[in-house]
Amino acid sequence: MTKVTVDGVAVEVAPGATLLDAAKAAERWVPTVCFDERQAPFGACRVCLVGVSGAPKPLPACTTLCRDGMEIETEEPRARRVARAVVELVLSELPEPPAPRTELAQVAERLEVGEPRWGGATHAGEDDFRHPYLAFRHQLCISCGRCVRACDEVQGAFALTATGRGFEANVAAGLDAGFEDSTCVSCGACADTCPTDAITEMGLVRQSGRD
Amino acid sequence: MATAIRTEAGPAREHADRTASTTCGYCGVGCRLETTAVDGRIVSIRPALDGPANEGHTCLKGRFAHGFTRSPDRLRTPLIRTDGELRPASWEEALEVIVAELGRIKGEHGSDAIAGLASSRATNEDCYAMARMIRAAVGTNNIDNCSRVCHSPTSFAMRKAFGLSGATGSFTDIDHAEVAVLMGVNPTQGHPVVGARIKQAALRGCKLVTIDPRRIELADYGAIHLAPRPGTNAAVVLGLCHVVRREGLVDADFIAARTEGYEALEELLEGYDPAAVEEISGVPAGRLEAAARLYGEAASASLLWGLGVTEHKYGSEVVQLLCDLALMTGKVGKPGSALLPLRGQNNVQGSSDMGALPDTYPAYRSVEDPETADLFEAAWGAPLSRHKGLTIPQMFDAAVAGELKAMYIFGEDVAQTDPDTAHVAAALENLEFLVCQEIFENETTKFADVVLPASAFLEKEGTFINAERRFQVVEPAIDPPGEARTDFEIIGEVSRRLGHDFGWETPWDALDEVARLTPHYAGVSRERLGRHGLQWPVRPDGSDSPTLYDAVFDRPGGRGHFAALPYKAPGDAADQEFPLVLVTGRILQHYNAGTMTRRTGNAELVDRDLLEVHPLDAERLWISDGDKVSVRSRVGRIEVEAKVTDRIEPGHVFTTFHFPETRTNLLIGQSADVNTSCPEYKVVAVDVRPIGEQAAFTPVVPDLD
Repeated sequence: MTKVTVDGVAVEVAPGATLLDAAKAAERWVPTVCFDERQAPFGACRVCLVGVSGAPKPLPACTTLCRDGMEIETEEPRARRVARAVVELVLSELPEPPAPRTELAQVAERLEVGEPRWGGATHAGEDDFRHPYLAFRHQLCISCGRCVRACDEVQGAFALTATGRGFEANVAAGLDAGFEDSTCVSCGACADTCPTDAITEMGLVRQSGRD
Repeated sequence: MATAIRTEAGPAREHADRTASTTCGYCGVGCRLETTAVDGRIVSIRPALDGPANEGHTCLKGRFAHGFTRSPDRLRTPLIRTDGELRPASWEEALEVIVAELGRIKGEHGSDAIAGLASSRATNEDCYAMARMIRAAVGTNNIDNCSRVCHSPTSFAMRKAFGLSGATGSFTDIDHAEVAVLMGVNPTQGHPVVGARIKQAALRGCKLVTIDPRRIELADYGAIHLAPRPGTNAAVVLGLCHVVRREGLVDADFIAARTEGYEALEELLEGYDPAAVEEISGVPAGRLEAAARLYGEAASASLLWGLGVTEHKYGSEVVQLLCDLALMTGKVGKPGSALLPLRGQNNVQGSSDMGALPDTYPAYRSVEDPETADLFEAAWGAPLSRHKGLTIPQMFDAAVAGELKAMYIFGEDVAQTDPDTAHVAAALENLEFLVCQEIFENETTKFADVVLPASAFLEKEGTFINAERRFQVVEPAIDPPGEARTDFEIIGEVSRRLGHDFGWETPWDALDEVARLTPHYAGVSRERLGRHGLQWPVRPDGSDSPTLYDAVFDRPGGRGHFAALPYKAPGDAADQEFPLVLVTGRILQHYNAGTMTRRTGNAELVDRDLLEVHPLDAERLWISDGDKVSVRSRVGRIEVEAKVTDRIEPGHVFTTFHFPETRTNLLIGQSADVNTSCPEYKVVAVDVRPIGEQAAFTPVVPDLD
């Protein structure tokens, strides 16, 4: 077992555990956006940065492995500043704020990120409501890659793919002809993991229309 | 009376934003689900991250196919047949008719003229209540459930070989297996969450051996695919055993210390060298040898099977042979080495475990065993029959013969799903009285005298047992619509009016009673099941059993039993008149009779049954993709659309039975498993031909006179 402390709380974790695992064991919250415990750590969003004693800069908690004696600080000021800035930048690219029940909205709230300070371009894109259960709302995609990994690593359907570059980056089913014309098996793992509703359930779309 | 049927809707039964943690009611995987309902309608279902079987995943059925619960054609009031038509009636009227008719028939013809069917779709408590009603209130052992027509051979065989009727391990064994052998099972369609687990294991390096007449999706991720002729599974398994033994891959220490009967098997195996097996099954000898080596050489290997093994004339024997293969290699009761029959329905394990069977009380204790019968007689305070009742096929035979007069069928559409539809219809037609307890009108209710509106799994409380022997809690996400009631409530009230009061307030009282009367479930309770359930046997202290037989088998003497059973030809075979062999099964988007999934968006994804035909056969028969074709067997004929695909071998065709308009089961004959009478759905000789189209232009023949 590996011994570390998280915000002063001593915990023992199995060899190969990440800083995020240690924080969970110590019941300390670390914000994440591209992480899903059902998938291999991705380390893309940089929202899960934490301070580690002796490290020259904050480290991503989801991909950094624990070593004996590490002292982890979840609210290290520089780490938190970066996390807030990342979430604010991500929000600033969306044409509408994410629904309050989405993971991105909840992380933003907990990090006390309000209305983004930056205006400018937002993602364009259309709603795709052709499938009976699954909806694309491409304008809400933040390219975290969770849906693609859910499709690959949880279901194994390999139906989703990242498309475009830079600001145009998005996600598509198959050759971008919709879920039904791809290898999609309609399991909904993508909608389940999406932190913004870029892929969501038609049932929820209809429900929000009713509200 | 707490169990009395409420005849009016209670005040404000629907709540805004109601959430529940429950267990999926589709297949036997047992996914844990988190439901959200608003104003009495389900809005969203998500997988529970801590669900032991699903670990945060579900398929489209569990997650999305819930709209049927509020389908406009849900049964919302009881129906009584008057002047040939089913007409809405009050609960009071319906219950009076049931009590009067069952009482009359019992008086005139005796208790054995009445039979009941419990449902593998329903909870343990529903099934236990149904069995108790039929045994104690009616006074007969004529109680069965639909596991009869799917995994009864598995239950029979595993009890013979190992002692207990259930998987030897857990789904997590798949993650630890070096090799997984899949026989007659198509998990990515039938058990999608386990299918996804197997696929991920394969992508990480687990070697798959798939054995199926169709090239199933997982074959594309596997090491070896064997495509035996339908009905020749026994020869293939004997061949695997032969090669394992010939190449010295047996675990001699395990055989000596833990088993009995190996010598007889050894002798039998002499006759099943790969060449002989190729002759019978069509599986190339080299591929059979390679598969046997993969399995035999692996440090850990699991065996998984489904209805492609069981629904045969000798299905139970093939399961016994699979147990042989595991026993001779010592691959049972160890991490990664499990035998995992993938149970078809959500509670096919539990409905049988609860004793909704004509020959056994809960935990497979014989009705003929005086000690057990005394135990239940004392507990229930009613005299109980000491002789076996009728199985489902025997019930239909008895009804046709005029010996069985009444049936009470709950949660099974026998007229669509049971084999030889014409025979089933004749049986139902011949009954004097039929009660159906259902959520929709269906093919069977067409014959009913009384129809009672019951509940879907999302409206119930109780437990299911999944394919890993895991008791899991079922919690209502919504209430039953209109005057529909839970099955538990209905059965309790009918039984009370028949003179046998269960004395339970809630399903948890029934579960407590089962635990009290059944040593294998002794430690089961609502509180202990919590969010993660318990895998039986559950000891009185609440500790459960993820792995069975790690030290000893549950048979007298504690040894595993080898069965020496030769290959025998299936009940049907292709011939001059019926040159193709039909296999039936199901697909991802729909569930069995389709009662639920056809009333959801799943029907937008797939809206018909298709007949898979190999391109060579299609060419020979002048059939193109999308053509309507006629399929004729020895007992019936249907019309269905053709799909030309090389997933199936030449000489075979495949179709599903999800849509009542297709009536696939008209084609299935009476052939059934020799030990359990599970129907042979998987081998039916058929003649397939295109349906003649109207010619676009018919030249007029000139009149030469």
